[in-house]
Amino acid sequence: MAAPVCIMENITKSFHVGDQDLQVLKGVNLTIEQGEFTAIMGTSGSGKSTLMNLMGCLDVPTSGRFILAGRDVMQLNDDELSELRNEHIGFVFQSFYLLPYATVLENVLVPTLYREKKKDHVRDRAAELLKLVGLEERMKFRPTQLSGGEQQRVAICRALINDPELLLADEPTGQLDSRTAEEIMNVLTRTNERGKTVVVITHDADIAAYARRTIHIRDGIITES
Amino acid sequence: MERFSLLLIQSYEAVKAFKLRTLFCLVSVALGIAAITIIVAATEGAYKKAFDIVASFGPDSVMLMGGSEESRAIGQREKTITLDDLEAIRQAFPTAYVVAPSSWVGSVTVSYKGNRYQSQVVGSSSDYSIVWTWPVVEGSDFTEDDIRRYANVGIMGQEVARELFGDQSPVGKFVQIRNLPVQIVGVLSERGTSPGGGSLDNRIIMPYTTVMKKLINEQRYVHAMRLRFTDLENIDGRVEELKRLLRYRHRIPDGQPDDFRIFTSKDIVKFLVALTGSLVVFIGIVGVISLIVAGFVLANLFLLSVKERIKEIGIRRAVGARKQDILMQFLTEAVMITTAGGVVGFILGLVSAQLLTYVAEFPVYFSWKAFAIGLVLSWVVGVGFGLHPARQAANLVPIEAIRT
Ligand SMILES: Nc1ncnc2c1ncn2[C@@H]1O[C@H](COP(=O)(O)OP(=O)(O)OP(=O)(O)O)[C@@H](O)[C@H]1O
Ligand SMILES: [Mg+2]
Repeated sequence: MAAPVCIMENITKSFHVGDQDLQVLKGVNLTIEQGEFTAIMGTSGSGKSTLMNLMGCLDVPTSGRFILAGRDVMQLNDDELSELRNEHIGFVFQSFYLLPYATVLENVLVPTLYREKKKDHVRDRAAELLKLVGLEERMKFRPTQLSGGEQQRVAICRALINDPELLLADEPTGQLDSRTAEEIMNVLTRTNERGKTVVVITHDADIAAYARRTIHIRDGIITES
Repeated sequence: MERFSLLLIQSYEAVKAFKLRTLFCLVSVALGIAAITIIVAATEGAYKKAFDIVASFGPDSVMLMGGSEESRAIGQREKTITLDDLEAIRQAFPTAYVVAPSSWVGSVTVSYKGNRYQSQVVGSSSDYSIVWTWPVVEGSDFTEDDIRRYANVGIMGQEVARELFGDQSPVGKFVQIRNLPVQIVGVLSERGTSPGGGSLDNRIIMPYTTVMKKLINEQRYVHAMRLRFTDLENIDGRVEELKRLLRYRHRIPDGQPDDFRIFTSKDIVKFLVALTGSLVVFIGIVGVISLIVAGFVLANLFLLSVKERIKEIGIRRAVGARKQDILMQFLTEAVMITTAGGVVGFILGLVSAQLLTYVAEFPVYFSWKAFAIGLVLSWVVGVGFGLHPARQAANLVPIEAIRT
């Protein structure tokens, strides 16, 4: 069996608020194997996004051991973290975060701008991904000309363009109605079936039901159901 | 390459998307660059014109005028240079291959068969066209013999010839100057305007003897004298010697000012540079100030833009942009806008400099140099003032930027 995508041992994370230390994560132990489809659940403010930001290397833990894609994250500098995100992680956010002035195709291509190891035919690959989510007719559109569900599908294509090991989705259906949410979850399921490791953060049990594994976060530690 | 062109495309999209920001930055940079373009064109024009004038005045030439600086300043024209001075100078300077006297009447009515024209009559020795490097294009110069005989002959400038004779040739015809019938023996080539701006083609040249005796009734004094030296390399020393000789002959005690003035081609260049210089300094200050203002406009609008685009910066960082990538992106946007401003400014400068030449005697000359300087300056503004906002953008903490 291949090495786990993500290993977290005794991870803590604190924020300084004023002159106080707010400890959000109090010793998280979590291993995510390749090809898993995991949901992370918890109430608002429980630290789900904090955990996801750590897993996505957007932020670094206060203490603990963290291995991602075989790299010891705690030892990396800012540029190396950027490179790690670029190659190994795809992000999907609740509010899409597409560039309003760029076309659908250009939005999907943004991560390739920052790619160190150059790949050929990125445009063909972007078009292929857009076709998989049924947006091949919308490539020249601007995000404002798309529905919420369509925008989120573009964001998923953007997350996949560099072929990352790990796809992280923070409340990807939070701004969508239940029928559109179902579509998005189907896209994520299919992505997982094609071999991608997927982690979805949600407080909705119906969404979590798509995943094969569910983790609960409460009082700064995680429990598995 | 693909990456670089993607960066350019995306920057271009941003430049297009944030239209107001682009417009304000572009216009303010364009104004500054326009002013700078005019300065460069004017400076180059002045040098070119100075070069032309020196070439036609003759770098080996010296002009000696009667009267001191002071008397000229109060509008008085003293007569101080005599024909005896002329003879003495001729003997003292063997390398002076031209020593030509000059006397003139500022404004005389010349008529031919009912046509009248207000002209300037200049008395000279027989080799006027050599003295001034000013060729006779029709007929010939008057002769040494004409000088001796006080002959009523003359050669005329293009403008007088046109006004009095139309398409006819004036050579051989008689014109009336005051009550003097004068036979025209030659026509000078077109000369254009003097450094001061007056036309040079409205004059009639006659033997200085004739002018002195019959037009201004003067036996001893001439207005000016022109010298040309074969030893161009010694010209500064020759001017000093000339000064000493004249002060000695005019018995001017030490400490007293000269009662004559000497001009060389260097003085003419100085005069011209002073003429355009003040205007260049003025536009220069305006140009530099407006470029600095343009820079601050750009810096502020970009800071606003960075605030507005926090989410964009956050997502770019999330998908792998390094700090320097964000920095490069904002700098590229800034330089793109200022480059466009530079090009617009150059065109604006071109047009307004052209307009300036209509309202004032203002030489302009456009070269690639003017364009290159404008372009480089617009890049300097783009990078210089875009750097601070670009740094702000690059140093944003990604999780702060994308927290909802
Ligand atoms: N950068 C920060 N600085 C200070 N406090 C923070 C920061 N980020 C998160 N927190 C705090 O950490 C706690 C957890 O926040 P987090 O965003 O991880 O919650 P969440 O589980 O994602 O909640 P939600 O479901 O509302 O998105 C909150 O109390 C929050 O105020
Ligand atoms: Mg959250």
